[in-house]
Amino acid sequence: MPKYVQIKPGLVSLVTLALLGGALAAPKKVTGYSNLGITDGKPGGTYTLVLGDSPQSLNYYGVIDNNLGLVAQQLFDGLVEFNYANYKIEPALAESWTVSPDGKVYTFKLRQGVRWSDGQPLTADDVVFTYKNIIMNPEARAGDAGNFKLDGKDVTISKVDANTVRFTLPRAAPAFLLQQRYFIMPRHKLLKFSQEGGAKPADINNAWPSNVAESEVVGTGPFRLGNYTAGQKVSLVKNPNYWKVDAKGTKLPYLNGLDFLIIRDPQAQVAQFLAGNIDQLNITGAQFPDIKGREVAGAPFKVIRSTALFGSPPFIAYNFDAKDPALAKVFSDVRFRRAMQQALNRPRIIDTVYNGLASLPGHGVAPANREWYVNTTRQLGTFDLAAAGRALDALGLRDTNGDGVREISRGKNLEFDLTYATDSSVYPAMATILQNDFGKIGVKVNLRGILAKNLLSTGLSGDWEAILHAFGDQPDPELRKPIWQPGGALYYWHRSLQPAQDGGTPNVARMFPWEKEIYNIFDDAATTTDRSKRKALYTRWQLLFAQNLPVTPIAKPENIGAISNKYGNYIYNLGVIPGYNPVPLVYQK
Amino acid sequence: MLNYALRRILGMIPTLLVISAVCFLVIKLQPGSFTDQYLEDPRFTRETAEAISRQLGLDQPAIVQYGRWLWGVVTRFDFGYSFLQNRPVVSVIGDLLGWTVFLSLITLLFSWLIAVPLGLYTAFNRHGVAASIANFFGYVGLAIPDFLAALLLVALVLQFGGTNVGGLFSPAYIDAPWSWAKVVDLLNHLWIPVLALGLEGVAGLMRQMRASTLDVLTQDYIRTARAKGLPQHRVIWRHAVRNAINPLISLAGLSLPSLISGTIIVSIVLSLPTIGPLLYDSLVNKDQYTALTLLMLSAFLLLVGNLLADLALAWADPRVRYT
Repeated sequence: MPKYVQIKPGLVSLVTLALLGGALAAPKKVTGYSNLGITDGKPGGTYTLVLGDSPQSLNYYGVIDNNLGLVAQQLFDGLVEFNYANYKIEPALAESWTVSPDGKVYTFKLRQGVRWSDGQPLTADDVVFTYKNIIMNPEARAGDAGNFKLDGKDVTISKVDANTVRFTLPRAAPAFLLQQRYFIMPRHKLLKFSQEGGAKPADINNAWPSNVAESEVVGTGPFRLGNYTAGQKVSLVKNPNYWKVDAKGTKLPYLNGLDFLIIRDPQAQVAQFLAGNIDQLNITGAQFPDIKGREVAGAPFKVIRSTALFGSPPFIAYNFDAKDPALAKVFSDVRFRRAMQQALNRPRIIDTVYNGLASLPGHGVAPANREWYVNTTRQLGTFDLAAAGRALDALGLRDTNGDGVREISRGKNLEFDLTYATDSSVYPAMATILQNDFGKIGVKVNLRGILAKNLLSTGLSGDWEAILHAFGDQPDPELRKPIWQPGGALYYWHRSLQPAQDGGTPNVARMFPWEKEIYNIFDDAATTTDRSKRKALYTRWQLLFAQNLPVTPIAKPENIGAISNKYGNYIYNLGVIPGYNPVPLVYQK
Repeated sequence: MLNYALRRILGMIPTLLVISAVCFLVIKLQPGSFTDQYLEDPRFTRETAEAISRQLGLDQPAIVQYGRWLWGVVTRFDFGYSFLQNRPVVSVIGDLLGWTVFLSLITLLFSWLIAVPLGLYTAFNRHGVAASIANFFGYVGLAIPDFLAALLLVALVLQFGGTNVGGLFSPAYIDAPWSWAKVVDLLNHLWIPVLALGLEGVAGLMRQMRASTLDVLTQDYIRTARAKGLPQHRVIWRHAVRNAINPLISLAGLSLPSLISGTIIVSIVLSLPTIGPLLYDSLVNKDQYTALTLLMLSAFLLLVGNLLADLALAWADPRVRYT
């Protein structure tokens, strides 16, 4: 079978070298980030970060919890990971891999000589165990069994030899490699909680509760668990067996310890950062002026801005299936949504809500994502209330009784509820601006505040008219298919398209022509292995999105991080993104 | 007396039963379900949501869920399972109970030690300058919410370059073994929450103490005592204070439930490891058994506090006797 090594050319030499090394330990050399300001560091020191709440467990696959995710990122690794600079996939626990020409067979060769933090060697058994018993286990709460069924058929994983595993897919799936950033877990510690070890499938969720003995939690990551004090602190210590080295061959991580202080309140987090108890903190646009002001006044930290690839750009959605049939009819009319977009004052929102620390959004793809983004800025239009008013006039939505509000039908005002989150730093201000501007063109908006946690469930319930919400951008649109493919599980602004049963075929007959086209694009792109063809498909999708506005994106916030001057090699901490962990490079000056 | 206490204790059972049913109903009436909030996560699918609902028994009718919980409580003293933490509710609460009780007791002690003497002083020296100042600060204390007081104290500490701006310990001491240095560090952090939490209590208690003392001072028996020529300190301590303190005993009993819900915002603002934020989280996330257990605990403490207050009153006030 001819093999095709699907990695970036710059890494080929590294991989070849590693292969030549054979049975020798093959640490990964982390180089090539001088443009991100990365230099050689020195070992030692402790670095303190913050967690918004106590991790609910230490089993990454047992609970869905971002706080655990932030800790787990330092304890475990996946087969592949992101390049810090360009987000391309590169080797991690897998030293190299091959993909068969038909795109259906992925063979991963494991890095030689990697050891768990307790000294046991990492083998193909661990990888197969993790995938079979945990990730593909439908009872594992944070597993991902759904991603291993393509067209209703299972992906299979098998061990080829002690250092090689093979995935066989029922059909080609070009985003498959990108997804294999799942953390690999130790078989020798988790066997007793797994089906393979004789337990029930759901028992895996009970492994490693938050009061587990520290020595039980074993990983391949840069750190291992040191101590967990409920409600106060999680301490990690350096894993001496970590498999990465810097350009000079010094073992990573540089740090001896990594502490997470548990502080729930954002204001309290800032206070702790200013007091010097926290060394790095991600902040919002609203907090920026104060903290930047202190930096300028000579405080011992720096505030760093960077454009964001991941992260959620807020949008406003109109319910195509609103309970009021007149509203539903207007909302599903693309001319209405385009008219309302002209009443959307994006520059003002970027200025006042984000303090200028945001930019114009893309349509489903972040502008920073060079891989897939198509410039649709012109389709965003410009803020022009008069033009918006004229467009609404043309739709027959006029104010006939002179009360300042347009009528949707005889004697009935064009008036709707805007659902937004009251406990967010951006939505309340944004909702007020929208209400104000929409009011000026005779569209009456009633604000309906709910908790941010309930935004999605409210959206999915269909009990709303317009909503402010945000869904994250991802490096590959395929990963956000349930959101953007019409009829998808999260495509909630047109709920009548959703299949009668989960996993069934959506109601294609009810789709607008443009929705049908997007639906087909996502289906095609999911199986197309040719990059340029996929690019063309997703380009078409972004244009259709921009023209038809299933939802109207508002802004793409920037990443802002504050970092103490005591530390070097800081790269913005993205949050829980498996396969993106620059902390091993951080060093104490 | 014993008979009375027993009757009261038995009477709690049906009350608690009704309270638990109402609490469960209220929790269930919130929109959405425990699993909804996770759907935004890219690694989460709808099948997983359903699997979790099944694992947790959330696919059963509400009445069955409630019945099973109640049966567990009655037969095994098992208060259910925390969805959020993958652990029994009892162990989750147990983790935080120590610090919660410690903080509450310290705060209670602080506010009583300050408020009772101050209240007496202002009552006996009604028109003095010192009393007016104390009264003024009492009003201020009442007007400022505890979390605001906490924020102001934190801002103040920060302004003077302090690092003790939250939590109970400096980061380095959190998981260190107990030592003198750790105790000193604790004291260095403790005064902020105690002051913030205690201040409101001080103001209220002081006003209460002042009012009831003034009330007592106009009574006939005080005049009689004075007329008999009893020394001032005996009039005050033997007759006035003993009678004036009765309403405070009831107040103390009623303050027991604040163990759970009284410190929610301050604990969040100051990152204190107490039960308050757990209640908030469990309600917001629909972690139903944790929320239910905490609400029940709160109700139970209220009932116990009432009972204790009644018993203490009976002991302190000869006019109140139960047969």
